[in-house]
Amino acid sequence: MNRRKRYDAVVIGAGTAGLVAGTRLAQSGASVCVVAKGVGSTHLAPGTIDALGYMPERVQEPATAIARLAEADPGHPYASIGAELVSEAAEWLITTVASGPAPGYRYVGNLERNFLLPTAVGALKPSAVIPETFAAGDSSQLGRLVVVGLPALRDFHPELCAANLQAAGVDARGITIDVSVDRADSSTLGISRLFDDPTWRTSFAARLTPLVRAADHVALPAMLGLKDPHGALHDLENKLGRRVFEISTLPPSVPGMRLYEILSHALRAAGGSLAFGAGVVAHERDGERILSVDTESAGSPTTYEADAFVLASGGFHSGAITLDSHWLAHELVLDLPLQGVPGKDEPRFSAAYFDEQPMARVGVAVDAEQRALGTSNVVVAGASLPGAVPWREASGEGIALSSGYRAAQVLAGQLSKRTEALR
Amino acid sequence: MVTLTTDVLVIGGGATGAGVAWDASLRGLDVVLVDRLDLAEGTSGRFHGLLHSGGRYVVKDPLAARECIGENRILRRVAADSIEDTGGFFVTTPFDDPAYADRFAAGCKETGVDCQEIPVAVALREEPRINAGITRAFRVPDANIDVWKTVGSLARGAQQRGARILTYHEVTAVHRDGDAVTGVRVHDVRGGEDLDIQARVTVNASGAWAGRIADLAGIEGVRVLPGRGIMIAMNHRLVNTVVNRCQMPTDGDIIVPIRTVSVVGTTDKHTDDPDDHTVLQSEVDAMLDEGEKLVPGFRQARALRVWTGVRPLFEDAKESETETRDVTRAHALLDHQQRDGVSGFVTITGGKLTTFRLMAEQTVDAVCKALGVEQSCKTAIEPLPGSESGQNYKLGERLGRKEQHLRDEQVICECELVARAKLEQTIRSTRSTNLDDIRRQLRLGMGPCQGGFCIYRAAGIMHELDGLSAEQADSSILAFLQERWKGVWPVLYGDQLRQMRFDEWIFHGVLDVDHLPTSANIPNGELPDSVGRPDGAIPAAGSAT
Repeated sequence: MNRRKRYDAVVIGAGTAGLVAGTRLAQSGASVCVVAKGVGSTHLAPGTIDALGYMPERVQEPATAIARLAEADPGHPYASIGAELVSEAAEWLITTVASGPAPGYRYVGNLERNFLLPTAVGALKPSAVIPETFAAGDSSQLGRLVVVGLPALRDFHPELCAANLQAAGVDARGITIDVSVDRADSSTLGISRLFDDPTWRTSFAARLTPLVRAADHVALPAMLGLKDPHGALHDLENKLGRRVFEISTLPPSVPGMRLYEILSHALRAAGGSLAFGAGVVAHERDGERILSVDTESAGSPTTYEADAFVLASGGFHSGAITLDSHWLAHELVLDLPLQGVPGKDEPRFSAAYFDEQPMARVGVAVDAEQRALGTSNVVVAGASLPGAVPWREASGEGIALSSGYRAAQVLAGQLSKRTEALR
Repeated sequence: MVTLTTDVLVIGGGATGAGVAWDASLRGLDVVLVDRLDLAEGTSGRFHGLLHSGGRYVVKDPLAARECIGENRILRRVAADSIEDTGGFFVTTPFDDPAYADRFAAGCKETGVDCQEIPVAVALREEPRINAGITRAFRVPDANIDVWKTVGSLARGAQQRGARILTYHEVTAVHRDGDAVTGVRVHDVRGGEDLDIQARVTVNASGAWAGRIADLAGIEGVRVLPGRGIMIAMNHRLVNTVVNRCQMPTDGDIIVPIRTVSVVGTTDKHTDDPDDHTVLQSEVDAMLDEGEKLVPGFRQARALRVWTGVRPLFEDAKESETETRDVTRAHALLDHQQRDGVSGFVTITGGKLTTFRLMAEQTVDAVCKALGVEQSCKTAIEPLPGSESGQNYKLGERLGRKEQHLRDEQVICECELVARAKLEQTIRSTRSTNLDDIRRQLRLGMGPCQGGFCIYRAAGIMHELDGLSAEQADSSILAFLQERWKGVWPVLYGDQLRQMRFDEWIFHGVLDVDHLPTSANIPNGELPDSVGRPDGAIPAAGSAT
């Protein structure tokens, strides 16, 4: 027999979109539970809010470009969200981060202008709103740069990064400093835990100082601590006398995990709750209304009843949408209809990897309010939405943030109407 | 122009050509081997990995069955390290003619293929995933063979005895002096230069391309009809024994467990172009259906990659006018002195991977005869480099070795357990500028994540070792993404689609590889011209086994 729980709203998925939707709903006074199979996009994405980077030419002013995109492509999620709401959501995020659990840590930027930040391979990627620990990496500001790696860090290659930056006109060189972390393999996550310790920062800075005398800027892989990245950044900058910044690299993403901590903290602070290991395995539906979802939590399968649901479970990459071996696509959480699936005799993929792939824009079919077609109480957010090519156009986190923010807006209106009707 | 001289020039770096080079060097001959691509990049590297017991041919082609079982016994010794002794089953499923099993058993007896009928319950206990409706089961000595390891060892063994192996050297002309072939001109497709090679005997071991080389030599009627077959690797050992349907050989009736995957194959479609790697949707669907018949639930497993290979099916146009029109699967050794009155030129084509050693032996016998050299073949006794201990490969070997160095050794490719030291050593020794060459040597990027994590790492390491400029590293990353995509997209569904979307996130969302600042070109889906493939080849598949 399942345990039963009841909320005003249940959010499915704990990536950026789900956590933002859950937090906003809780802040509007609804009782909310975010249920998730596991952690989501935050642990994979670079931690920056890329609102719109390519269209397909490089975007400098995201707000203007989003407005243009909304007009040119009515099927894109931004067409119904609109540039203004993306800005509003970004401002909300900046405020939320500033009052988060990591002291002093903040996000900077806005939708007026993209930063142009080095990636781990040395490309320059446009991002709108970014952690302060990335800010000094904006390529327009860069002076003489030293990119620093560690021998144990196979996920960051400073010399290749620097060589590519040089090709882009940055005066960069890469060095690997011989700092031992007591094992041959480590990840940015493992090393970030060391950076939370001020003693480690001091010894690290001491090793680095003689090697960066000729530099104005020092770049490190994104690993400056999980708990106190603000302190780590300023410690290093003071000790080195140089501007320091982080570069995102292969998952797991340390800045993304910070963002996860901040958003889940905000959710709880607003009275919401979060259930992990709670993948949705069944649901109950009455006509256009989803009544409840069942989750398969170890030892305690639970039925969550709610007036409204936010589906933020992600696309093909998260397993929430799948294509079977007979080439039929399915939404696995609530069995909702999909949009953008190529016809039976149309190509699913292009043989040329770098071309647009016909399957790329598949998502849950929605109306202009992100409501899942055929339902009255399910709003869709994040990578579950159809119409975008989030990684190739550098829009994924912008869509996640703003569509999660908007999903809460749409539902809050509906929930308060219902509450008023009951009174 | 530089000129090399040698006793024996071998055209083709597949199993047969490398086998000829190994055999000839063991007999003390001076050898040069050329291939337009890397070793084993043609038909050899594009098969399912099955070392035949011969069981497949006992009814249809008894001669081939006899050759297979003989070679199977020899290769288990001399190429031990490349072979995993999985054993094989022939099973009668509800979809097979029940009368075939008796003919099969009789055929095995007649051809000497070791075969033992076992109770169905025993077969199902050993392989619980195979169709529970099977009515008969036979055990045969099938096995799997790692072809890259085999060909690599053949080439290494030959090199240790002085042979020169020139990969990425494409034959552009065959030199004739009257009725004698005297050598070839090759074009170094990477270095850009031409090279003349003078040889006392030239061996055309170019498999499905043998007709084209014969044409260059001005020899008529060598017709090789490429038979294209597709294979799909599923990302699990769905079976640990090679499982064959007990029926007349047809499409999709074998599942070969090799390394960490199972390969289902194959089809047979005639094509005019040996570089035709088209994969048809209908073929993929048919393979998945056939897999489902042997292993119910097959479609739920994760399809990793599809590729095609072309069998060199030989037809002698000179004989065909008078003789049978049948195209034989057996190999053909053409002594062009006898056949065409042209000396110094021998063609070996047809055949199958299991019999490559025998083909090489017969070829080098002919070469020795032409050179007046009296040296007998030693390849049935002399183990290949790496196989001296006679120990067969065991699944989990890499993991076993790796476990002893968990803290002190960096792993660059987790799927295939490629350690950093090994990668660096290979980068230094090959001096390659191409991640794909490294992939074939180390299996880098060939596991379930298809390079999602290791490609950036490996490119970074190659760059740090001064093996690659930034532009070459960038090109290499982009080319690798295109290269793996061509084998993945026709079978992309389920968990592998999930994986590829996740990889797309890494390469585009995190690294932004399609906006690199160097002038590295985004590949357009065709293979790069530098590897010398003709225009119009439809990109499809590279091997995954």
